[in-house]
Amino acid sequence: MLWTEKYRPKKIEDVIGNEEAKQEVVKWLIGWFTGNKEYPGVLLAGPPGIGKTSFVYALANQFNLHVVELNASDVRTAQHIYAKVGSIGGASTLDAFTGSGPRRNILLFFDEVDGIDPKADTGGLSAILDIANKKEVPIIAAANFPDPVKHKDLLNTFKYITFRPLTPRQIIILLKRIAANEGIAVSDELLNNIATKVNGDARLAVNLLQEASHGLDIDITLTPMENLPFEELIRRLTNSYNINEIRNLLNSNSNQIEDVFYTYYDLITRSNNTSFEDKVRLLDYCIKLNEMFGRMNKKRSFYLFRYILTLMPWFIYSANRAGIVYDGRIPAYRFKLFIQNRKYRDHLNEVYTDRLKMILHESYRKFVTETLPTIKFIDIKDEILEDLLTKVI
Amino acid sequence: MQYMNIKYGTPFRIPRRLGDRFKDIVSIRGVKYIKGTGFIIENKEALDSINKILVKMGLILKPLINCYICGGNVDCDECTFNKSCHKAVTHCICKTCFQQRDLVNIYISKQTQMIRRLIGE
Repeated sequence: MLWTEKYRPKKIEDVIGNEEAKQEVVKWLIGWFTGNKEYPGVLLAGPPGIGKTSFVYALANQFNLHVVELNASDVRTAQHIYAKVGSIGGASTLDAFTGSGPRRNILLFFDEVDGIDPKADTGGLSAILDIANKKEVPIIAAANFPDPVKHKDLLNTFKYITFRPLTPRQIIILLKRIAANEGIAVSDELLNNIATKVNGDARLAVNLLQEASHGLDIDITLTPMENLPFEELIRRLTNSYNINEIRNLLNSNSNQIEDVFYTYYDLITRSNNTSFEDKVRLLDYCIKLNEMFGRMNKKRSFYLFRYILTLMPWFIYSANRAGIVYDGRIPAYRFKLFIQNRKYRDHLNEVYTDRLKMILHESYRKFVTETLPTIKFIDIKDEILEDLLTKVI
Repeated sequence: MQYMNIKYGTPFRIPRRLGDRFKDIVSIRGVKYIKGTGFIIENKEALDSINKILVKMGLILKPLINCYICGGNVDCDECTFNKSCHKAVTHCICKTCFQQRDLVNIYISKQTQMIRRLIGE
C-alpha cells in the first residue's frame, strides 16, 4: 500500500504545514455553522502535493461531515453537477434515516476546479457558483493555479486561501513521523536529501521515502520531476538517453505533453546534427502522433492518451539518439503561446504571418501549418528572411 | 537604510511616497495591491524584485517568519536549507526547536492546542 494513502491525515493536527491557512478554513467553517455565511465557500489554491485534499478530508473527519466530492475524473458539466449535488438541500446524509449511522452534515468538495474545461464541461463553473450562492451547504473548492480571468467569478465569490509548499524542515517532521510509525531507521542524510530536492511537495517526499525504504535506488527520482517549468522539462528530456527517465518525466508532466511534442517537431525540423534519413523517419513518427493528438482533441477521445503516453517516450528517445539538441529557442510558430514580450511577438507576427502570407497569397491556417514549417525546415535565418521581405515589399 | 518586516500573503503599507514607482511595483508578478488595505507579496521572487525598487528609496523589506513551536523569529540565514527553501511561509521551525528530540510530538500537540482553541473546547 502506498504510504501517501496509508498515512493520509485523519485529523487536522496530522496535516503538517500551512498553519495560518488551516486556521482560516477552520474559522470559516465554524462561522458557517454558527450562521455567518458571508462567504458561501472557500477556494484553496496551491501547487499539487502540499495537502489541500488531505486537509479537506481531515477537516470533514474532525467536524463529522460527509464529503461529497467531484474531482477532475468526473464529468463536470452543469447537468452532471446538478444531478449529483444540486439536490443536497437537506444538508445531511441518509445514514440517520436508514439507521446505519448518525445524522451527518454534508461538505461539498470540488477538487481541481481549474481543470474544468470551458468546452467539455459546459456550464460547470456557473453551476458551482449557483449552488454556492444558495448557501445551503458549505463548499470547498481546490485549484492548483486559478486563472484571474477564467475564474474571476469564483475568486470573487469564494474566500481565497493560499496553500504554500512545505519548508524542508516541515518535510522532515512529516518524514520522521512516518519513519517512526513504520519502525524504520532513516539517516539524517537521506532525510535532508529528500527535503532539499522535493521543492516542498509532501506527496513526492513520502513516495521517495517509501522507495528508499524498499532499498530502491532513488538517485534518478531524487531530482524533482513533477510540474517542471516547460523549458526545464524540455532541457531534461533532450539531455536524457534513458528511456525510463524519459517515461517518468513525461508521466509526471503529462499536462505539457502536447507542447513537448510540438517543440520536438520544431527541434527536428531545425536540427543541423541530424541526417536527412533520420529527419524523414522522425517526421513520419510526428505525423502519426499528430494524427493521434488531433483525433483525441477533436472527439475528446481521451482513451487515446494512454497510447500517446506509450509512444511519446520512444519518439523522444529516438529523436535524442538522432542528435536532437535543445538550443533554448522557443518554437517560432507557437510564439503566441510562449512569448510574453508583446512588442517582439507583434514584430514576429508581422514578419512571419502578415507579410509573407500576403506575398504567397495563402490563408493564415495554410501558412502556419504548412508553409512556415517548410521555411523553417530549409532553415532560412530570421534576418535573411526579413531582409528578403523588405526588398520584395 | 530602513528595514521593514513583512509577512508573505499578509497586507502591509509602504511608509514612503511611491509616485511613479507604484506602477512598477504593482506590475511585478506575485505582488497584489488592494485599495485601502495595502500590498500583498506572494513569493520570494516578488520580494526580491520589489526590494530592487525600494532600495533606491532607502527601504528594504524583510520577510518575517515565526517559529510555530516557540513563537520566536526564524533566521533563514542560519538554516542549512537556506538555498533550497522557497521561504514563502509565515511559520517554520527555529533552529533550537528543530533540534529537540521529541520534535514531531511537540509539533502535533501544538496543532492540537490550536484546533482546540479555535473550536473552543
